[in-house]
Parts: sequence; C-alpha cells; structure tokens
Amino acid sequence: METSDAIAVDRASKRFGTFVALNQVDLHLPAGGVLLLAGPNGAGKSTLLRLLAGIGRPTSGQVRVAGADPNGDPEARSAIGLLSHQTLLYDDLTAHENLLFFARLYNLEKREERVGEALAEAGLAEWRDHRVRNFSRGMKQRLALARATLHQPSILLFDEPFTGLDQVATDALSRHLRRFKEQGRTCILVTHRLDTAADLIDHLAILRRGRIRHQAPWVNGSREELSALYTAHLEEQS
Amino acid sequence: MSFFSRTLAILRKDLLAEWRTKERLSPMVFFVLLTLLVFNFSFELGGAALHEIGPGVLWSAFVFASLLGLNRSFVDERENGCLDGLLLAPGDRSAVYMGKMLGNLLFLLAVELISLPFFTLFFNLSPGPFLLPLLGLFLLGSASLASVGTLFAAMSSNMRLRELLLPLLLLPMVMPALISCVEATALVLKGDELARIAPYLQILTVFVVVFTTLSLLLFEHVIEE
Repeated sequence: METSDAIAVDRASKRFGTFVALNQVDLHLPAGGVLLLAGPNGAGKSTLLRLLAGIGRPTSGQVRVAGADPNGDPEARSAIGLLSHQTLLYDDLTAHENLLFFARLYNLEKREERVGEALAEAGLAEWRDHRVRNFSRGMKQRLALARATLHQPSILLFDEPFTGLDQVATDALSRHLRRFKEQGRTCILVTHRLDTAADLIDHLAILRRGRIRHQAPWVNGSREELSALYTAHLEEQS
Repeated sequence: MSFFSRTLAILRKDLLAEWRTKERLSPMVFFVLLTLLVFNFSFELGGAALHEIGPGVLWSAFVFASLLGLNRSFVDERENGCLDGLLLAPGDRSAVYMGKMLGNLLFLLAVELISLPFFTLFFNLSPGPFLLPLLGLFLLGSASLASVGTLFAAMSSNMRLRELLLPLLLLPMVMPALISCVEATALVLKGDELARIAPYLQILTVFVVVFTTLSLLLFEHVIEE
C-alpha cells in the first residue's frame, strides 16, 4: 500500500455461502482521487462499497480506508460518508430530526448549528420541520447527501446516487461531486451513468464477476472514450 | 463517542418515531386488551379461576404482544437502508442493540401499565398492595423478553419468514423467564410473602443479566450480512 493511498484493498474476497461476490480484488486510490467503479449488474460493485464502508467484512484479504480497517477500528468509520440509492433516512422523522439524530451518532459539536448549515446547503431550510415521507425523490436525495456529508468525511462513497433523479437533480448532484473533488476529498462513484461520470473522475476501475478487470488513471478522457472503453472491456470478457 | 450517548441517541429516535406513528404500541395494546377480554368471557375469571389461570393469561398476552413490537423494531430500520446508517456510524455497534433493547423494554412496560387497570377490572381485583411487587415483576419480565427478543428480532429481520421465525426462536428461549413470571404473579395475587416470590425474582434478574451480556457480545456478528 502506498502511504498516500486513501483506499487500499488487497486480495479481498467476499463469499455469501457458495456464491463468490468478490474474488481477490485489489484496488488502490490515492487521497483526493475520484474513482469511477463501473461494471454490469451483479459485478460486485455494491458489495465492494459495503466493505469499504465497514458495513460488511471481507471473507479474506484486507480493506483499509484512510489507513485503518473500518471494521477493526470503529472510530475510523467517522472518515467515511456513504450516499446510496437508498436514502438511509427515517420517513417519519422531519429533515431536522433526521440530521440531528446522525449528528448525535457522530458526536458532532455545535449540532444545531451544523444541522442548520447542512439543511441550508441542501436547499431544505424551509422544509426542516416536514416529515421526510412527504419529500420528493430529489429532495430526499439532497437530504441524504446532507446526511452523508454532515460529519465532513474525507472519503465519500456513492452507490448509484443518480437512480431515480431527474435531470435537474442529477446536475445538482454532479455539481456537489465536483465541489467534493475540488475540496480534495477522496470519492468512489458507482454508477451506470458513464456520461455524467466522465467529467468528474480521474481514476477508472471496471469490475466484472467479482474481479477487477481494468484499473487505470483517467485523464481528460471524453464521455465517448469512456463509454467505448467500458463496452470494449465487457465484450472482451464475454 | 461514549457507548451511552449512542444508546441514548438511538433510544430517543425510536421513541420519537413511535410517538409520531403509534405503529408498535397500538397493535400491542389492542392485542393484550382483546386477549384479556376474550378470556374474561370464556372462563369467568373472577374468583377461584383467577389464581389458576389469570397469571398465565396475562403473561401469554404480554409475550405475544411483545412479538408484535419486536418484529417491527428492526423491520423499520431495514426500510430505506436505515440500518446501514447505524452500522456506518463510528463507535461500538452493540450500542445499537442497547438502544433498541431499551426501546422495546419501554414499549412493553407501557403496554403492561396500560393493561393493568383492565386486568384488575376483568379479573375482579381490588387495587391493593399486590400492585407494587407486580410492577417489579413487569419490569423484570419485560426486560427478559426485550433482552433476548431484540437479538432475535435483529437476526430474523432480514428474512422472508421473520414473523414465523421470531416466535420459533424466542418462545423456547424465554420459557424459564416466562414460567418464573407466571409463578411469581400467582403468588403476588394470592398475597404471599415477598420471601416466597424472591427466588423467582432472582431467576429473572440472572436471566436478564446473562442474556443482555451475551446479546451485547453477539450483536455485531448477528447484524452483519
């Protein structure tokens, strides 16, 4: 592992019974890098993201995030933020109550102030006392992003964050991703929206049937080139 | 962050959500009241039958009501992937168990306290000195159910047949506690001395301590996929 690697996965495998979801995966990403983790459905992308988030444990191999094992060192998880297609929010609590709950879990200081800022950043300040159940999909995803970044993590994991979003919400989320990149945060993005991702990333990994098939820096490549490379890899392997 | 702060945060969140929805308390309370009502009409429970079957009826109603509440306690967390949010947070994950367990305990105690006046009414009991030891029994009996039930609810929450699996796991395991509760309640209703009830209270205390400790140790492994 390079000392500057924010994410280091070494020979990590994950089995569910006899099913091998990940097979001897190696993945390294330097601090501040933005990686697109691409692959067909069932490739193991979400499983890998769950291992990185410390929600799952590898059957074998090692996963280190910000220099620590997110399962072995519980405090290391405070460096990680996860945004997925599920909101991880409680529908029967208000936007303010949801964020305040997570602020308590992360033991943030000046919680009310921080929650107020996060709601304002998400454009939801006037909706703070409305139940999440009544929010649109776009509003829920903005609040979910506020939840994922409330504790200002240095590493952000995005699992299909554009699912169900309209073009306006997709553009807004892309702007946030670009801002995180400018702030020097390390990001891993799992998405099928290669056109949206092409402008944001500087590293690319292609996962198929639980194995990394391609991993390389991605510098100034166009959307068409990214799409062509991805398709070529899938065809080559099939 | 301290274990207790995380526990309190989760407990507070569960109480707030329940205050909003009443999704757990309402069915639990109605189930207990309906059970007491049905048995009241079926057996004419006042008088001699009270000491024979009254405690069994009462605790059976509480146990099955607890299943209704326990089933929901982690199902709600699975919606929208909220459980991932809890597991993602830093700190000891057994605080999730403790927060959930205390929530389940409070809900069950609330159901028992609400149903107590109806129990005394249906069973022709006059309020008297039996109430104090009965409240102690409610606390220990509920803690027994919540300690084991919360762990099994976490185990079964991700399974399709969870409504069937939870009682199958829970009922055999809580049988010693349940028998102690029924026996002790019968003694309390007869007005026996505390010395005769004390062994049952000791069994229940040991049950709660042992199963809470075991659950705290096992929870992280149980909750992982």
